[in-house]
Amino acid sequence: MATDKELNDFLQNVERRAFKQAVYAVRKDESALDIVQDAMIKLAEKYGDKPAAELPMLFQRILQTTILDYFRREKVRNTWVSLFSGFGRGDGNDDDDFDILASLEAEQGSAAAESSADQVERTQTLRLIDDEVQKLPTRQREAFLMRYWQDMDVAETAAAMGCSEGSVKTHCSRATHALAAALQAKGITL
Amino acid sequence: MNIDDINLAYKIRHALDEQLDHLPASTVDRLAAARAAAMARKKSDARAGFGWRGLGAFLAGPAVSRLAIAVPLLALVIGMGGFYEHEQQQQLAALADIDAAVLADELPLTAYLDPGFNAYLESQQRQQ
Repeated sequence: MATDKELNDFLQNVERRAFKQAVYAVRKDESALDIVQDAMIKLAEKYGDKPAAELPMLFQRILQTTILDYFRREKVRNTWVSLFSGFGRGDGNDDDDFDILASLEAEQGSAAAESSADQVERTQTLRLIDDEVQKLPTRQREAFLMRYWQDMDVAETAAAMGCSEGSVKTHCSRATHALAAALQAKGITL
Repeated sequence: MNIDDINLAYKIRHALDEQLDHLPASTVDRLAAARAAAMARKKSDARAGFGWRGLGAFLAGPAVSRLAIAVPLLALVIGMGGFYEHEQQQQLAALADIDAAVLADELPLTAYLDPGFNAYLESQQRQQ
């Protein structure tokens, strides 16, 4: 059974990456924070007595399920919003309002304040990588992030994603090739 | 995946990790608060379950809740015991009635084992 310290250390270790994973999926910081909080609470409430070694796989599984639940709720909400569009047009159109160019421009504005040109370039490169990761197909992105960002092995990733180990390898391979091609096309070398 | 692919994957990982250091302070604070909320609701080992642990928790609980469970349970056990006893008495009485009827009959029991007596009964039935 994981001790309080082990669980706390685990959550502290994964919380930022989990937040970014959720942002990649839902594209809204506030919703991503809610998702991570829900996932953390579910893990602690239901699986707080599990061994520490099982926590990464369980947490990823809960996180993916919570993201799926979010999309289901959004779908239902958007259905109602479209039905009563005359009354609540503004509520369901957050996705439509999302403009990646506008957000890049705004963030680039803050980065421009930094003194070093190298830092600006590095920040832009990181942002482009971030953007390319976000563009990956969902399953490929999940597999890639679990394997190479969350340090989960193939078996753990397969268990968390509910698919075979072969599928995980295929998703990871395709994701890596897609990222390599996209970065090369933009002239980015790592 | 070949070595180059794996190297690229780890370079991307490094880039993603680098970005985590630039998260807004409000986001970091909110994540810390979420973690604290989760830790406050951690599943503890002492939670009551089935078996001996559940019994222990039951006995350690408040007297009112113990009575609320124990009284109906006791009434059920007493009721089932009384019903069983009543059924036993009914069966004994029925058997005694049969015994009394057989013993009070003028015809001896061995008459029913005689094939000639059976033939006599059949002929009597045909005549009627």
